[in-house]
Amino acid sequence: MIVAARRLTKYFQLKGTGIVGGGLSLKAVDDISIDIKEGSIVGVVGESGSGKSTLGRLLMALLQPTSGQVLFDIPDDVLAEYDKYIETNQADKCRKIEEEYSIFRSKGKAMKEMRKQMGMVFQDPYSSLDPRMRVEDIITEPMLATGYLDPEKARKRCLELLDEVGLPRDFAFRYPHELSGGQRQRVALARGISTLPKFLVLDEPTSALDVSVQAQILSLLKKIRSRYNISMLLITHNIAVIAYMADFVNVMYAGKVMESGVKRDVILNPTHPYTIALISAVPGRARMRQRIILQGDPPNLVFPPSGCRFHPRCPVAFELCGWTADEVATDLDYLVQGKYYTTFQGNTQVIPKDALSILIKGTNSIQLSEMIASEREKMRSLMSIANIKDTEEGVLISLSHFVTPKMYNLDNGKKVSCLLYSPEVMATQKGAISGN
Amino acid sequence: MSEVLKVKEVKQQFYTRRGIYKALNGIELELRKGEVFGIAGESGSGKSTLGLTIMGLLPRNASVTSGSVLLDGKDVIAPLREYATKSNQKFNFRRNENVIKKMNRELSTIRGNKVAMVFQDPMTSLNPVLQVGYQVAETMLVHQPRTLAMRRLARANAKRSDLNEALKVLRATESDEKALEDFFRNKGLEGLTEQVISIWRRKDLADAKKEKMILSLHSEKLSWFDRFVLNAVKEKGNLPSWLSKTPILSRYTRRVLLKEGYLKALELLSTLEVPNADKVIRMYPHELSGGMRQRIVIAIALANNPELVIMDEPTSALDVTVQAQILELVRHLKVKFNTSFIFISHDLSVLSEVCDRIGIMYGGRIVEIAPTKEIFDNPMHPYTKFLIAAIPTLEEKEIQEIGGAVPDMRFPPSGCMFHPRCPYIMEICRERVPDMIQVSKDHYVACFLYSGDNK
Amino acid sequence: MQQETAEAGRWENLKLSISVFMANKSAVVGLIIVLVYLIDALIMQFDPMLLGIHHPDVLVPNFLNPVPLPPSPQHILGTTYPGIDLLTSILKAIRIDLAYSFFVVAVGASVGAVIGIVSAWASGMFDEVIMRITDIVFSIPYLILALAVGFILGRSLWHMSIALAITWWPLYARYARSQTLSTKEYTFIEAAKAAGVGRTTIMFRHILPNVLPPIFIQISLDLGSIMVIFSTLAFIGFIPSANIPELGYLTSLGLNFVQTAPWALIFPGLFITIFALAVNLLGDGLRDVIDPRRRG
Repeated sequence: MIVAARRLTKYFQLKGTGIVGGGLSLKAVDDISIDIKEGSIVGVVGESGSGKSTLGRLLMALLQPTSGQVLFDIPDDVLAEYDKYIETNQADKCRKIEEEYSIFRSKGKAMKEMRKQMGMVFQDPYSSLDPRMRVEDIITEPMLATGYLDPEKARKRCLELLDEVGLPRDFAFRYPHELSGGQRQRVALARGISTLPKFLVLDEPTSALDVSVQAQILSLLKKIRSRYNISMLLITHNIAVIAYMADFVNVMYAGKVMESGVKRDVILNPTHPYTIALISAVPGRARMRQRIILQGDPPNLVFPPSGCRFHPRCPVAFELCGWTADEVATDLDYLVQGKYYTTFQGNTQVIPKDALSILIKGTNSIQLSEMIASEREKMRSLMSIANIKDTEEGVLISLSHFVTPKMYNLDNGKKVSCLLYSPEVMATQKGAISGN
Repeated sequence: MSEVLKVKEVKQQFYTRRGIYKALNGIELELRKGEVFGIAGESGSGKSTLGLTIMGLLPRNASVTSGSVLLDGKDVIAPLREYATKSNQKFNFRRNENVIKKMNRELSTIRGNKVAMVFQDPMTSLNPVLQVGYQVAETMLVHQPRTLAMRRLARANAKRSDLNEALKVLRATESDEKALEDFFRNKGLEGLTEQVISIWRRKDLADAKKEKMILSLHSEKLSWFDRFVLNAVKEKGNLPSWLSKTPILSRYTRRVLLKEGYLKALELLSTLEVPNADKVIRMYPHELSGGMRQRIVIAIALANNPELVIMDEPTSALDVTVQAQILELVRHLKVKFNTSFIFISHDLSVLSEVCDRIGIMYGGRIVEIAPTKEIFDNPMHPYTKFLIAAIPTLEEKEIQEIGGAVPDMRFPPSGCMFHPRCPYIMEICRERVPDMIQVSKDHYVACFLYSGDNK
Repeated sequence: MQQETAEAGRWENLKLSISVFMANKSAVVGLIIVLVYLIDALIMQFDPMLLGIHHPDVLVPNFLNPVPLPPSPQHILGTTYPGIDLLTSILKAIRIDLAYSFFVVAVGASVGAVIGIVSAWASGMFDEVIMRITDIVFSIPYLILALAVGFILGRSLWHMSIALAITWWPLYARYARSQTLSTKEYTFIEAAKAAGVGRTTIMFRHILPNVLPPIFIQISLDLGSIMVIFSTLAFIGFIPSANIPELGYLTSLGLNFVQTAPWALIFPGLFITIFALAVNLLGDGLRDVIDPRRRG
């Protein structure tokens, strides 16, 4: 494995003013494990705020993780051993392996050696090149900083690199602001591969570019991959770019990996409800008919939804997915005040009592159960209602407990973080799901 | 078929220190009523400039050397063109700026009223220190205070029996809006039509609730002063100047109109499927997500029922799932409002979802115009073909790469702008600018491959 | 050959910069005025006889005819009390004012910039402490500090400028800090880290070259206001002895004759104002040059 991330987590501490807001953190990346094989392109796709860029920076050791490890260039047998130690909680043996392979433990000379093996291309070619440096200085910087080549040879290699990325040699003496977006991104790419790294992180390399320039950069990337056999992590919001470039895909949502697997399986045959919706949302005439329009926006990661982070927008969420009394109460109130206004005459009150129970005043359980039964399919939060009973105060609704999904292995080698595919649910609901 | 907009032979250039950028080089365009017209092209093709030129929103170094933009029967860019063609002397920034300023004053009645624009970044087009409801209300207050006054007065004057009858009309004619409009006009309550209809159309409410809401739109109390103000606005079309110019009084008089504007904003936002619209109108832009902000901007654009809305990359800053929501919304709006849209985007696949026709721009010219289906099924111009082939798709097709870059518009290539990158280049392409030729109904292309004069 | 094209590119760039600057007419006027002041100061320093001045460091009073005289062929700008020729003394005073203003700005800017940049680069607790200290110093009014310094160490131009420098560095510290913080956010800093460049190298190769130019502009803008403040202090009596040519002091000499001889007040004051204005105009022009958005 060229890169193996294990249980990688990054919480950004929010600066609070005094007591208010203190201790809050933004859970940008939460418990992510990723493997990148030699010579493969692994795609990470997700919307803005899904934590995909943070993940890229963690893998480059540009950020320190809150917890978890990234192991670099680790033999497969050692990695298997490491995984075993993690499972059995043998911290001291884990540490021993980490000391040798972790990118966060390297310092000084070892760190420079590791930097030589890794490169990165950033999203915005306008801010990722120092405006006061010439292209030559930009491209030779990694070679000189890591001691890969001496200045004389580095300058020579810079010219070769310019050929390689399809820029004229005299660009070496230009300044970034004299170049177009596509040309800058080529310079950034030349810088990324200058030390012939084993691993290259591409953070949205084409999202700031026109389609025609994007096509040029993507085919250049393919050429470079096939020539040097560099492993790449391609981070993008454009799933079509992943479809064109990657071998493996990880779909991220709200700091978690929702689905991962071989590209063909994930994109042509998506499993997770979010992946299905994401792929259906890609614009194009062909997909318009089967489009799933997700309601709402991606969640606030300071207070992420409980259970599965996708459940508030999920079209097939069910009782275990993580519904809280607040969410259900909002939906009930909406129905009672809106569509079912006639039945309830607008004098009901919906009060969330605690995390898993809701009190409704001014009605009775029969009316409510009728409404819930007929709306369950459309309003998925109502699925979580386990019990409705009349009390003196009003109708007491209790919700079922939720389960937080883990990555479940599927038969075809994919991993999915959706409760529909957990062994327990698969066992009980097998008939119902395969029926769909 | 009536045309909302007619753009004829527009040539436009920017004077800069580095030279003269010829941004538009003879644009021909006709927009039909109720149609969504897509404009696709790379950055530097002049697609955004075209949108701004139609709006007359040009910086001081912009000069229109020929052509006209007919909007609402008025040539928007006439003063600029006259300045550029009349004066043979050197281009003078300051004088040109004065012309633009004057033009802006003239256009202020059209802009935001007959034609509105939605920009890429919703944050920059919203004022961060004002509630979003206020911002929607303000555009109405500026352009159509009369509509607001009529709405409020109608609610004050209507009787419960009127609304009962209105509901009967709606039921009898199976929600025929025309019939309702006639009914209210006969009663002298025109302002009620859109209020009743917007409630009637809502999907999230039970019929009983809708009826109750509609029935509540009567005999609303109105102080004598507000009634006086509203009547004055209804008659004159705007606030009497002695009221609107007096410092403290003006605030007080505007209040009743603004309040009505908030109600209208609420209606608009629920039409745009904004959840909890009543809370959202009291929020500030930074409290909203990107998709929600873009809806607000669209609401502002639609507030005055414009004939034309120009959307410049409205979804480029949004996530795919949110983009899908907005595209769905535009598809609905087209049906609901009968407004024409110009949808500018660099992404052909986005255009393919909402547009009736698409124009491909290159080097400040439209090189191909065709209905959406036709563009994808039968692209003719080499550039169009290439643009479609360069988009990566989920189906893992090989994307096609083309060398070169968009031309430097200070020194545009002779003849067909695309000839330096074109794989089918012929001698004539370097020498002459190809004319637009009709290849089938509604399908036009500017390329010598199809013109017959390619000896 | 490649070197040549690069040279040509740089020349093009310079030409563009000059043309951007030249397009700003008022900046050119500012530049000319500032140059005139500078040349005058240099002449006074090295060869005052060029302008027929014998004693560049002192005012030459004429007690035989102490009452201010109006402008005349002998005294082009007239004289001030006690019989001092205004033109020559203004020419002398410009050198002194310029020198001390330069000193204040240079000391304040270099101390402030170093503190600000280091503080922003170190970040964390160090930054917090340094910035609070800066805030405290920033809250001391220059007038009070100058009074205190003058009272303790005695009145002299040096003490005055030290007091000013002490009150001036926090301004630069804050400015340099905010510049550094915004530069730190650029992706190219992250790119340099990813390339394995060490912290110190990043500081010198990436941060400084991007932070210093705007600070220089700030300096050039401040020169004018420092000169105004410096002469204000002299005007209200911070001048140690009665015959130092200084614009503020010259103005104060004419104060008693404002009704009978307004020129004695107006001319020295005018020279202060013109310089402050010219420096501001020049600074605006320079800002145009370094701002890529205005180069379009």
